[in-house]
Amino acid sequence: MDVVDQLGSVKEGKLSRRTFTKSLLAAGVGVVASPMVPRQAAAAAEDQGTFFTWGGYDIPELFVPYREQHGEDPNFAIFGGAEEALTKMRGGFVVDVSHPCNSGLPRWVKSGLFQRVDTSRLSNWPNVMPELVELNGNDPQDGKVWLAPFDWGQTSITYRTDLFEVEGEESWDMLWDKRYSGRLGSLASGGDAWWCGAIKAGVPMNEIHTDEAFTKIAAVMREQRPLIRTYTDDTTTLEQALSSGEMVAAMTWNSSATLLKSEGVPVKFANVKEGALTWVCGLMIHKDAPNLDLAYDIIDSLLSVESGKFMINDYGYGHSNLKSFDDFDDETLQSLGLSKTPADILAAGHFQVPQSQEWETKMNGLFEEIKSGF
Amino acid sequence: MTGQITPAPDHATALPRTGRIGMLLQRSEAARGYSLLTPTLLIMTIGILVPFGILVTMSFWTQAGFGFDTALTTANYEKAAERPIYGALLTRSLKMSAMATIATVLLSYPMAYFVAFHVHRNKMMWIVLITLPFWTSYLLRVFAWKVVLGYEGVINSFLMTLGLIEAPLEFLLYSQSAVVITLAHAWAAFAILPMYVSLEKIDRSLLEAATDLGDGPMARFLRITLPLSMPGVISASLLIFIPTTGDYITPALLGGPDGAMIGNLIQKQFGAINDWPMGAALSIILMLSIGAIALGFMAATNFVRKRIS
Repeated sequence: MDVVDQLGSVKEGKLSRRTFTKSLLAAGVGVVASPMVPRQAAAAAEDQGTFFTWGGYDIPELFVPYREQHGEDPNFAIFGGAEEALTKMRGGFVVDVSHPCNSGLPRWVKSGLFQRVDTSRLSNWPNVMPELVELNGNDPQDGKVWLAPFDWGQTSITYRTDLFEVEGEESWDMLWDKRYSGRLGSLASGGDAWWCGAIKAGVPMNEIHTDEAFTKIAAVMREQRPLIRTYTDDTTTLEQALSSGEMVAAMTWNSSATLLKSEGVPVKFANVKEGALTWVCGLMIHKDAPNLDLAYDIIDSLLSVESGKFMINDYGYGHSNLKSFDDFDDETLQSLGLSKTPADILAAGHFQVPQSQEWETKMNGLFEEIKSGF
Repeated sequence: MTGQITPAPDHATALPRTGRIGMLLQRSEAARGYSLLTPTLLIMTIGILVPFGILVTMSFWTQAGFGFDTALTTANYEKAAERPIYGALLTRSLKMSAMATIATVLLSYPMAYFVAFHVHRNKMMWIVLITLPFWTSYLLRVFAWKVVLGYEGVINSFLMTLGLIEAPLEFLLYSQSAVVITLAHAWAAFAILPMYVSLEKIDRSLLEAATDLGDGPMARFLRITLPLSMPGVISASLLIFIPTTGDYITPALLGGPDGAMIGNLIQKQFGAINDWPMGAALSIILMLSIGAIALGFMAATNFVRKRIS
């Protein structure tokens, strides 16, 4: 019986107050009991490991082996930049697996929030490319590493071939082109943008910490700022803007160009003459990971050939599992800006050099000021 | 009362104690008041005073790598005064949120007025209908505005179909005006409700009296309705001004490079920049500025009200 009907009946004297109170009691019991039902349903999700990762990696395609074992995907938590993620975990956010990149590795290790990955527990480890494991700060010991490499790629420019007229060679100057003022986009995170600024300013990666480098990079970033439509950490925003023509060129990772191409948008991932920014990202296990076994399953699933093929084919990123590349011919890989020997690609571009925490704070602080127009 | 809970005789010693507390509670009204307030005070202490204390203390620390240098210093406040970005962002935030507040109050007043004076049946339904858009998530409303104002959004497509413009208007999105428009819409319910309540309370016989004494509709509104509804207008203004100044999600999504507000910077201090003490100092500065403005605003309206009446 509807509550309103009952109220009417009380008024008309058809329903006694006692009966009405009784139905209220029933409703009350129902309200109290109802949270128990979803709680039981949610219990299954609580049994899964948590993967704290960049937006775009929270998709079922990367967890086929995991789902076969556990019936559903792990839980996801998303961050927009690695610094933000580290700060959140330092603030007490506990996850099973997180996803930093090579430039942050020494600082992430130093934070004391992580445990080494026992590679003997990963079935896909023998196929992982060794040159990706030997990162600055990874320090492999007795088959244990801090970071299990997962994906690698470039930060460069995705531009509309029909709207952007390239003068001469493709270069970082494209994002500083005054002809397209207000129609250029950039990633907001200093972890990408500042380093690309360094390439533009001609600062070598291993000198990026000097005061002179700060002055030089700040100058080019200030020069670029009035031309930028928006800075965002959300790659979807950039992709939508590129596809609608709101932007004609933007700083992106490989995936944006690959995704837009598959949608039929005429874009190209520029092979910039100064060299793109290159990076390797991987997986780390939290020291208090509540589901350690599941953490290893998450990592193993990400390192699997199935995930690798998806990463290469649909996102255009490099994968750390050598066998993932078997199905792709050299031509396809070249058009994606990838290779079976990642060292070629990583060395051809500018590979990020890890910096101190003080540097990160100073750089991000300064970059925020520049983005706000100071 | 105490007689009913008297324990068994062999616990006779307990009797005077309960009695004494009971007597104290009965005799002192203050004690009774405080004991009733205890749960609230407890939550206030744990939820507001303690975090506020931490924030104030932290604002006098400095960041050192991953940890804090806990030596007390005013370095953060000096930095905030020296570097132009902080002052400029604060002024911009206050300005934008003042604009949003004025826009919201101006747009909501007629709605509240209409419901209070011209709706006689199903008033509750009208109130519910007005608040209906606010049953969705705040984030959803912000994204909705992104769709409306966007490059290929509702407004641009409409104007282009009509042939009024050749290319989409780019200033609609990623600008300060986009943030002000969105804030004005997103907070409208918080303006309508208090203003409706104070308009509803106005004694209609006063209006009749004013008409009898020869006031036209306009004079009647300015001399009776508006002054009497001022409490609602003031509380609506404060309710909107205070939270919007520190808002960060709206400017982050719609503001673009020129629309960033102080809230974005504070969030970055606790995130990517990783300088929590500076973030704490900025929060305190923001709070003090809002407090000062709110007090000034209240003093001014009080003054005006006294002059009017």
